[in-house]
Amino acid sequence: MLDFGNFKTRDCENGIGRRSFLKTASALPFAFGAGYGGLDLEAARKLGDRAKAKSVILLWLWGGPSHIDTFDPKPDAPMEYRGPFGVIPTKTDGLQVTELLPQLAKRSHLYSVIRSMQTTNGGHPGAGTVGLTGYEENPTVHPNFGSIVSKHRGRSGALPPFFYLGQGIPRDLPRRIEGYGGGTLGKAYDPFLVSCSENGKVGIPTLDLLSGMTPNRIHDRRRLMAQLDDTSRTLEGAGVAGWNQAHHAAYGLLTDPKARDSFDLTTESQSTRDAYGQTSFGQSCLLARRLVETGVPYVQVNWSEYVETFTPNGDFGWDTHIYNFELLQDRHCPIFDRAFSALLDDMNSRGLLEDTLVIATGEFGRTPKISNRAAREHHKDCYFSVWAGAGIQPGRVIGESDKRGEHPVTEPITPLMMGTTIAELSGIGARERAEMNVLDGGKIIHELL
Amino acid sequence: MCWTEEKSFMNFYSFSGGCLQLVGLITAGFLSAKPIPLTTDGSNKRDPAFIDGGTTLVYGVDENRDLIRLWQIDLETLETKPYYESANRHHVEVAFSQDGRYVSYTECIGNLTAQFVIKDLVDKKDYFVKHSGRGGTRSPAFAPDNSVVVYAFAEKGPQQLWSVDMEAKNKKQLTQCEGISNWPSFTPDGKTIIFSNTRENNYEIYSMDAGGSNEKRLTENTIMDIRPVVSPDGKQIAFTSLRNGFYNVYVMNIDGANVRRVTDSEERDDYPAWHPDGKQLAIVSERKGKFDLYMVKVPSSGKITANP
Repeated sequence: MLDFGNFKTRDCENGIGRRSFLKTASALPFAFGAGYGGLDLEAARKLGDRAKAKSVILLWLWGGPSHIDTFDPKPDAPMEYRGPFGVIPTKTDGLQVTELLPQLAKRSHLYSVIRSMQTTNGGHPGAGTVGLTGYEENPTVHPNFGSIVSKHRGRSGALPPFFYLGQGIPRDLPRRIEGYGGGTLGKAYDPFLVSCSENGKVGIPTLDLLSGMTPNRIHDRRRLMAQLDDTSRTLEGAGVAGWNQAHHAAYGLLTDPKARDSFDLTTESQSTRDAYGQTSFGQSCLLARRLVETGVPYVQVNWSEYVETFTPNGDFGWDTHIYNFELLQDRHCPIFDRAFSALLDDMNSRGLLEDTLVIATGEFGRTPKISNRAAREHHKDCYFSVWAGAGIQPGRVIGESDKRGEHPVTEPITPLMMGTTIAELSGIGARERAEMNVLDGGKIIHELL
Repeated sequence: MCWTEEKSFMNFYSFSGGCLQLVGLITAGFLSAKPIPLTTDGSNKRDPAFIDGGTTLVYGVDENRDLIRLWQIDLETLETKPYYESANRHHVEVAFSQDGRYVSYTECIGNLTAQFVIKDLVDKKDYFVKHSGRGGTRSPAFAPDNSVVVYAFAEKGPQQLWSVDMEAKNKKQLTQCEGISNWPSFTPDGKTIIFSNTRENNYEIYSMDAGGSNEKRLTENTIMDIRPVVSPDGKQIAFTSLRNGFYNVYVMNIDGANVRRVTDSEERDDYPAWHPDGKQLAIVSERKGKFDLYMVKVPSSGKITANP
């Protein structure tokens, strides 16, 4: 089911309006910028052949999930630390998880867990940038790992190389994160935003320019371009500069059958769709699988747009300053457990795990000591990440936290190391990274490989 | 034909042309323990509670990605509608007094900020329970005589059970427990409260006098036993447990003996709510990734699946 803004699946007489164009033009750098300029596709293809990971799926658990209540339980810690949940065994020696993740426990042979993640920033937007770029926001915003892969791989066919699946750029109430996109590589490598509802309805919110358009009229390319050109001449501002590339991208996306099909979850069997769960996150994970299946190099599935877990108009992020135990038990973990398990099963049965890297993590963990509100606060010093697929040795526990889950007792593994490992597995070696001037000083997490 | 107490368990319905059509039938005396669906929309649901003598069920639902609202379903027609049509804030943790005069819920009024509301539906007055700082109340339960409403809240450390009167006054802390206390439920005589607590490493079920004394542990295993709810006759407790590896609903005697498994699914069955007839439960079940309300018969006897 497709919902490109107000794009209609039936013919009608309405054409594109100036107002809708203006709205879209202002959003262009984000909406359309994913790597359309001057890419050496042949070179990218050769490098891709060498890489273990043809694609990457990052499940971005925005808000900071509790490591103790999920993948790093501490059943022997004092009561004010350990939390209320029991622990269950997995198929991996040395790996217990909490009872909130029964499905993932059964699939631990498909993934490895890092329990010694550590970041440098304890606030959401800042830690989000570190988590997605490897560096603090200041003084320079570095590129998202997906933007690096996007630049390296380039675009193949109508689909952009770097997708964000979610409602918007991850943010907290005050502001969005800065490291969401191209950073020093430029807006051209920003992600392409697509939303996916719990019913699998796919939307591209920023394509509201197509309000009233129909397939027949979109196929009338010259007419569309003429309309857009007429409209663009009346506009000023930076957003218009990228329009030429952008409308080609939008046009290609909407008119290329393969591209359109990749968004149509109704072509999946009902049992497959059911397996992922009737949730926005679950169906987004299914959409991510379809996108990598068609060759998209990097897909970031955002758990939520807002970090806040209980706030008016918020969409229930993992920032559980209140209701940590209730929401993890009743909502977040069941959704995550089902969707991630289905993704692993689906990818594995289709052979996609061979050359797709799948990672699940947030920007930090949560305080091991339970707060006065019977919840957990931000904790940058120790958290988890889960790795599966391309080149990753599954069934391992990497790194160790102390008895209370407060600090790693092994070498801390950082977001920069995460990004460097993603790059390396994507065929972006040290030389290529240096040429792009990205991930400087980053080390590969060899224990994963 | 619709779902009714008399006709329960053998009613079926299906969608046709976008409209809910009840294709009913029944067979008196042939009662199945298989859960019977009440809703089919699949949205995430929670906290069902019967009102109007068991003819209506109120529940929380993830109405869209950024709003949890209370909805109600008429069990005669299976028609659903918002409980508060104009509500535009998250409403969670709903409970009703037995006589239907009071309703309480937690309302999200700001970032990480919730207020506990007690509504007097007869005098049409709202009362708000005050605690310092941000935080959220959990799991209200009305005393049968409407003398108090008990709820869980963490004010300074471990989450305790508290009580207030119907005008949100005379706040008292009932428990002084370690760990997290939650899900209080009164026995019909109002003398005993059943609840869960985590002092023994995971949620276990306990009982205590309504004043907070004479505590007894009723369950003991390494996996959570949560959401205990006392039956209308006061003889049984329905609860959710992961003791067999999945979220399933169980019942046991009021003293913790004779545990029987009510549901048997590898998907989630949770949030048991006793129908006033004491013979069946409304539950929220996940089936094929969709969350819906179901009715399920409580086995009067059967295999004891686990020791308390």
